[in-house]
Amino acid sequence: MKRRKKVSVISRIAALFITVIFALPLYIAVVNAFKPYEDIVMKPLAPPSAFTLQNFVSAWNSAGIPRLYLNSILITGCSLALLILVASMAAYIVARKNTKFYNGVYVFFLMGLMIPVQMILIPSIKTLAFFHLLRTMPGMILFNCAVYFSVSFFLYVEFFKTLPTSLEESAKIDGASRFVIFRSILLPLLKPCTSTVIIFSGMWIWNDFLPPLYILDAKTGSTITTGIYRAIGQYTTNWDIVFGAVMWASVPVVILYLCMQKQFRHGMVAGAVKG
Amino acid sequence: MKNWKTKLSDFLFLLPGSLIYLIFMVVPIVVCFYYSFTNWDGISPTYKFIGMKNFVNLMTDQAFWDSVKTTLILTAFNVIFVNVFGVLIAVWMDKKEKTYNLCKAVIFIPCVLSSVVVSFIWSYMTQGNGGVINEIIGFFGGGNVDFFASPFVTTLTVTMAISWAGLGFYVTVYDASLKTIPQDLYEAAQVDGASAFHKFFRITLPLLVPGLTISVIFSVINALRQYDFVKIMTPQTIETIAVNAVSRMTDYNMLGYSSAIVLVLFLFIGVVTAVQYLILKKMEVDY
Repeated sequence: MKRRKKVSVISRIAALFITVIFALPLYIAVVNAFKPYEDIVMKPLAPPSAFTLQNFVSAWNSAGIPRLYLNSILITGCSLALLILVASMAAYIVARKNTKFYNGVYVFFLMGLMIPVQMILIPSIKTLAFFHLLRTMPGMILFNCAVYFSVSFFLYVEFFKTLPTSLEESAKIDGASRFVIFRSILLPLLKPCTSTVIIFSGMWIWNDFLPPLYILDAKTGSTITTGIYRAIGQYTTNWDIVFGAVMWASVPVVILYLCMQKQFRHGMVAGAVKG
Repeated sequence: MKNWKTKLSDFLFLLPGSLIYLIFMVVPIVVCFYYSFTNWDGISPTYKFIGMKNFVNLMTDQAFWDSVKTTLILTAFNVIFVNVFGVLIAVWMDKKEKTYNLCKAVIFIPCVLSSVVVSFIWSYMTQGNGGVINEIIGFFGGGNVDFFASPFVTTLTVTMAISWAGLGFYVTVYDASLKTIPQDLYEAAQVDGASAFHKFFRITLPLLVPGLTISVIFSVINALRQYDFVKIMTPQTIETIAVNAVSRMTDYNMLGYSSAIVLVLFLFIGVVTAVQYLILKKMEVDY
């Protein structure tokens, strides 16, 4: 028994050791964000000797962080709101029917899961231009909704199948209309599924790189990811600005993750695994 | 009357989603097919229908084959890395203990970072002069390593960054998959005096196959369509198929040709996924 305990302690120390090595890039990103430029270049591994917030300020100014945040928040927020609405509504109908037609619709909507985004990006740019939506935020939002529609729809259908129909039926007898039933009875019940959709699609939309790079306007429409990419492309070796920008882009997401670890890990895996 | 009303509301519920899906997903897919048989440059008002010519040209396009090679190397190393280490770490840390939970939480952090951020950190670390990794190698007495010396080495460097960023995701998938293995199997094996080694290969691994199926297929799909890291970390030196396709469109104005490349990529992913699914399904066991 004693031997087993010893093994367990060694195993835990080894696990911590591996994790520390794994976390090295994270450590590098954090410590260098607080160091002056010379130290970043000369002493990449050392903790900050002269603590400075200058990198945050220079990145804020040269990349125009407030604008990027605003764009990213608006795009992610609006895309999610629209996505949740249209995917849950479509899923409600498809999940409650068992006819050949609706099974066909189900398979048809799931096709989108297999499509690489590069395939639809270029034709979508032409389509958006046709509707005069290219380089606008609504255009980006509609595109995001289409890309994440399949996976969200699928999660909602699976979830609806676990909900009993008795609630809806009794509400129907009381004379409530379908829209009322959906809004005031079903939407609240969908919360667990909605939170999965928010975390999964929200993370992807927030971190997306290729679509916003080509769909949004380079000057005014940069998101936090494309914005820092564009700002830093111009100063490749200005590592002080790079690390400031890296922190601005990551801190909100990492804090959110640390506060809701369980939901994040469950949400991201559920979205991918079921999809 | 009633029936008519229900049908109308069914239709209204389906309408918004269907419209978005049709206009921005289905139409672009069809259009992509169509463009791939034309010589359109994406700008001029006219273009010609040229049949299979784009696909024929693709066969002798050195840049395309280079991108195929890069993509395959990247996929092979990435898939092996994340799945082998994913299983090992998940099995190793499959205990309700604070230390292990902390480790798993830390390993997941890179998954919430954007590819731009991870690429920048790794570009900094792999610099030739005074890069962190070279500094560490130097500390142990090694010489300076150029992580971007040749296309092959560059591909490995990028693969390292991609694998680091994705590992936590796969650990979580395997972790969830391990939770579905019934504990009494291990207890029975314990009674029979099985070694830890035996338990891993006779119980854990076979019963992990459903998780493995999902995880391997997902990692292969993701690696095959890799764009971000390659684009950001290696300006112009190596290309994956996806990078090649997009640059054909944006830098060379070859929209028809670019569509043909994406179509080939899509078909390739489809075939690879189907083959893997069939092979891995056969490996599943029931105890």
